[in-house]
Parts: sequence; structure tokens; C-alpha cells
Amino acid sequence: MTIDPKQLSLSIFDSTQSFIEKARSLFKFQVGSNPVYGRFAKHFIPSGELPESVDEIPLLPIRVFKECDLIADGFRAKLTFKSSGTGNMERSRHHVADLELYRRSILSEFSNHFNSTDYTLLCYAPGYSDNSDSSLLWMLQYLVELDEKGLSRFLPLHQPLIQSDIDEAVQHDRKIILFGAAFGLLDLLDLDSEGLPDGSQIVETGGMKTRRREMSKSELRSRLSEGFGVPQQHVHSEYGMCELMSQLYAIGSEWFDSPEWVHTSVRDPNDPERMCSPGEEGKVAIIDLANMYSCPFILTEDRGVMNEEGQIAILGRWHSAALRGCNFLIDRD
Amino acid sequence: MNTKIEELVKAIEEWLSPDNYRLKEAIDKTVNEGLSSFEDIKYQILTLKKTLKKGEFTRWVESLNVDRLNPEERLTVLCLHAGNLPLVGIQDILAVVLSSHSYLGKLSRKDPYLSETLLEILKKRDLLDGKWAVNLEELAGGKVKADALLFSGSTESVEPVIDALTSYDLADSATPKLVRTAHYSLALIDNDRPETFRQLANAVLRYGGSGCRSVAMVIAPFGLKSKKCEFTDYVEEFWLRNPQHKKPAPSLYYRHAYNSATGVEQSWLVDFMIEETDLQPTEPFILHWIEGDRETLNELPQKYRRGLQTIYVTDPDIELPAGLPAPEMLSDAQQPPIWWRPDGVDPLKWLRKLNCSQDC
Repeated sequence: MTIDPKQLSLSIFDSTQSFIEKARSLFKFQVGSNPVYGRFAKHFIPSGELPESVDEIPLLPIRVFKECDLIADGFRAKLTFKSSGTGNMERSRHHVADLELYRRSILSEFSNHFNSTDYTLLCYAPGYSDNSDSSLLWMLQYLVELDEKGLSRFLPLHQPLIQSDIDEAVQHDRKIILFGAAFGLLDLLDLDSEGLPDGSQIVETGGMKTRRREMSKSELRSRLSEGFGVPQQHVHSEYGMCELMSQLYAIGSEWFDSPEWVHTSVRDPNDPERMCSPGEEGKVAIIDLANMYSCPFILTEDRGVMNEEGQIAILGRWHSAALRGCNFLIDRD
Repeated sequence: MNTKIEELVKAIEEWLSPDNYRLKEAIDKTVNEGLSSFEDIKYQILTLKKTLKKGEFTRWVESLNVDRLNPEERLTVLCLHAGNLPLVGIQDILAVVLSSHSYLGKLSRKDPYLSETLLEILKKRDLLDGKWAVNLEELAGGKVKADALLFSGSTESVEPVIDALTSYDLADSATPKLVRTAHYSLALIDNDRPETFRQLANAVLRYGGSGCRSVAMVIAPFGLKSKKCEFTDYVEEFWLRNPQHKKPAPSLYYRHAYNSATGVEQSWLVDFMIEETDLQPTEPFILHWIEGDRETLNELPQKYRRGLQTIYVTDPDIELPAGLPAPEMLSDAQQPPIWWRPDGVDPLKWLRKLNCSQDC
């Protein structure tokens, strides 16, 4: 049976269909329309067959976004997001064929956690016009534009959050969501920003290691909570990347939940087909159905761990440089 | 010093003598427990027989340009031995012996028997003073704290290693340490002669490609596609004589699938893989093949300097671009002289400098 991409994209957010049902349809679509994934998958699943379970779906290493231009046959990129990078560092390229799919993914999961009509979004980040490659800034711009009252906005960089910013944001009984990269929010505190009023929420988007010394997630959450006068259960994290159309949120904790159309797992780096048990560290694997036109089946290079509830914590990057050579490994020796 | 070298050579002769049943037992146990293959141990022992000679020790000591090697104060040197290949820590042991420091050895669980047979002989002949064990707990039992530390590992492993040693009060972050982080070597070949391919196969595949002296990247004047069938013959020839003991993790197949998907030229050998990429070698069981020549070296080592141990060549007269270490011959890749310098550092020289107050 021929696959209708439009129907398929609509089914992604259809909660009456099971995840595996949708994933199998996308697997079929990908094998037929993405030559890179098709060639990859045939090493694991014979041509014409479909995976029986989510665990069986072959996951393409994320570096494919650096090395190949992934877009389903017959579609063209309306926008291309690129990962951040400096100097000669290779950057990932994510071609987006369907912006509506991205909008829907952003809004569905954001609304799942926050009632957007109750909140004013204050984003401490460069504006989208300053970096049009950034999927994060595109997402923030979109959320800002959704505010019918027009109170949501990007805060000026390198300036503290002052009382008038807050007063303006809380008009019409609004509450504040302060959104920003971890280092940016800490910078904002260093600028002697005002505390946030009751009911405010903070969402940090990671990116700690790029600008400051390494800091644990719990230390970061404490600093943000104390600095802005917001209870820790109102300090949240967002996990997203240029290679993904969807975002994960950790609400009031370090454990991320997945949207209905996303499946996360932790895989054994030595055997990516094997799922790690809860508590066992490995590489984070993500099946993001909203990636249907690029590649939804991805093995990241992030180190993570899953808990018994199926939530994941992101622990940093997976370092593989230790695998070769005469290594004295104190744990595994 | 001459006397000490003579005594050391006698000890090594005793150790490597065909009558040394302790060594034979250790080899049997190592093989029977599946820790190494007989072929790899045999190769290592034959290499040591060839390289642990009086002239080689003399050359090593003389290269230091010092009148005497005895330290001003005898220190305790903790050697953490890796077990990636049989007897890989022997150079550190012999450096401690020659520098007359005390030895504290954490033997590898993957190679616990072979080194011990040498240590016993060195101790019996009063050439070495110290203790060794496989477990850190056992080593820590003697209440001895190390004054210096020798080990090989990745940059990421340094902190956990120090933490573990600190918890046993064997060392701490202030203990002087020589950490070797090199994890691969590179070969520059200029021909496809049978001898070159045989040497390359040995340099790549010996010990399953473990160890920083193993070749993980080759620069050749021809692409992989044109030579992979021919080179594979030499790989098979090597494996017929030296069946590969260590097997790759399933992630290697994953990488093979990825290479197929993205159009990377490769040769899938099930237990090993050759791919035409200039990615930094970080994973085991992969040979990176690059079409190029001497000029290619101008870019590569700068890019991948971190982690590079040795550049091997097939032309003894070749001059490498400035700033690179002196090349070694490809034929010597798995037969290093005892004075070779892991990570460019001579452990004997480093130990000599540890507590030397003048002209070291």
C-alpha cells in the first residue's frame, strides 16, 4: 500500500494510534524515501519486513546529520537548522520540510506542561534574527509570537531583569516563564537581576559546559531557585537539539518525560540494539516521529540513564576516546 | 651501573629460559583462562628475548647522560599495569629496577600471571624491592603510600583512577604521575609489496589491535577500494597463524551498517573493519585508511596529535615534516626496543628526574 505522507504526518499526534503502529508506518516511509536510512536499516531488518517492537527499530548515529543531507525523497527544505559550533567544527544540518509539523510539536508539548494563555514568556537569549540557524531560537520566537497579548518577548542581553520588566510581564494576571540557556540564566543572576514574583517558572535549556565551569544539574537548579526566588519545583529543564523536531521537558526535577510521539531509551554503547536497564548509563536513543522527513530514529552521543518510571536524565556527553589503547581502567580492569 | 645491567640481564635470561616452569605455568593459565592467545604471548616473549639484551639496556641508560642512576632518596613508585596485551607493563617494571626505586604494582586482572613470574625472579635476585597484587585493597594493606605513579589511560580515566587510589590511601592528586594517554599509531606506506602488507597486517592486527603501538591509521599512495582484496589476503594469512583472540563489540557491526548507509568505502572483516575515513581513531578494531603521501602527514598529526604514539614508515630514508617525532620502521611496530618512549616520554628518565636535585 502506498504511503500518503500528509496522512502520515497527521497521524503522528493522533493519540488513538499506538506508538509502535505509528513508528512502523514511519519506518516503512523512511526505508522507502530516505536512501541513507534504507541502506542502514537493511543491515538489521530484511527488506520488506517491519520491526516487531520499538526496541527493534535500527537507530541511526546522530553524526549522520553532520555527514549527510537528510530529507525524504520528493520534499525540499523550507528551513535548515544548524547546530552551534565554533571554528572548523563540523555542524549538524537539519533540513525541515514541514514547518507546521515543527510548530505542532513545539506547541503540543509546551501546552502539555504550561497553559500558554496564563503566562508571559521572557526569553533570555539572542533573538532569532541574530542566529537564524538555531532551532531553539526559532522555537522561542514561535512561542513569543503566539502570545496574543504581545507581552512575551526576548529580554535584552547583558542587562539585568529589572522591576519594570516584571511589572509589564505580569499584567492581566499573567505569570512569568523565564526561558534561557543555563549559562545565560546564571549570567542574568550575576547582573543582579530582580527576583521573580510568586507563581513564576524557569525553564533552562542546558548548554552549561560551553561557557562556565562544569556544574551539576542539582547545583544549577539550586542556584536558579535561590537566585530568582522561585521554588525548586518551578525550575524545569528542556532537552532539545537541532537534530530533533521535538522537545523533552523535566518538570521540577532532573528527569525528562517524553511527548506521546517520542520514545526515549538508553542503549548500551557497545551494543546499541540492547536497552540498558534502569540505572545503567548508556547512550540516549530517541525516536522522534516529528522527524518524519529527516530521520526519526536516532542514537545520540549523549550519556543518559533511565529510571524505573521510564524518565531519562541527561548526564553529559558520551566519551569514546577511552576505548582504544593500553588503558588502565580502574572499574573494568 | 654496568653490574646492575649484567645482573638484570641474568635475571631476564633465567626468566625467559626454557626451564622456567613458573613462566610455562603462567602462560598455560593465561591461555586456559582465555586472557590472551598462545600466539600473542609467544610473539611477545620472542620479542622480549630479542630486545632485552645488555646492549639495549646500556643504550637506554646511556641515553640519560648521567653518571649514576641511584636516586638521592629511594621512592616508592606505584605502577598500574594495563592488561590490553600480554606483559605490556614490563617497561615500567624495568625502569623502576634500573632507577633503584621501590616498586608497588597493581597487576591487571587481564594479565595477572605473566609479569608476576618476572617480578619473583627480580625480587629473589635483590634487583627489586616491593610488592604487587591484582587488587588495590591488597596493595593498600601494607600501609605504603606511593611517591610517584606510572600508568596508561585516557584523559578521562585520570580523575577516577586518582579518586580510587586516594580512597585506598595509595596516592593522591598531589602524587607526581606519568600518565600516558596515546592510544594509536599511524603508518605511512609507500608501496604495496607483499612484505609491506605483511608488516602492516601485523602492526594492525597483532593483539587484536590493542595498544598504542598498534596501527589504527594508514596513509597509502592508493585508495582502499583498489587494494582491499589484496590486503585482505594478508589479513587472512595473519589470522590463519594468529587467530584473533579478542572479538569486537556488536557496535562495530553498527558502524559497518552506518558506513554502508553513508557511502564510506570499507572492508568488513567481521572481527575487524577497514574504512576509508580520516576520523580520529578512538574505537578498537578499526583501521582508518587514507589515500595520501608524506604531505598528508602535514595535516593529520596536527589534527590528531592528541593520542598519536608513533609514525611508522617503510622507507628508512624518508624525512617527515618538521615538528614530528622521528619515525620508526613499520617492521618494528610490535617489537619495540626496551627504550621506546610511550607518549614521547622515557619512563626511566622521568623516574630519574623525580627526586634529582641537580643536573638531571
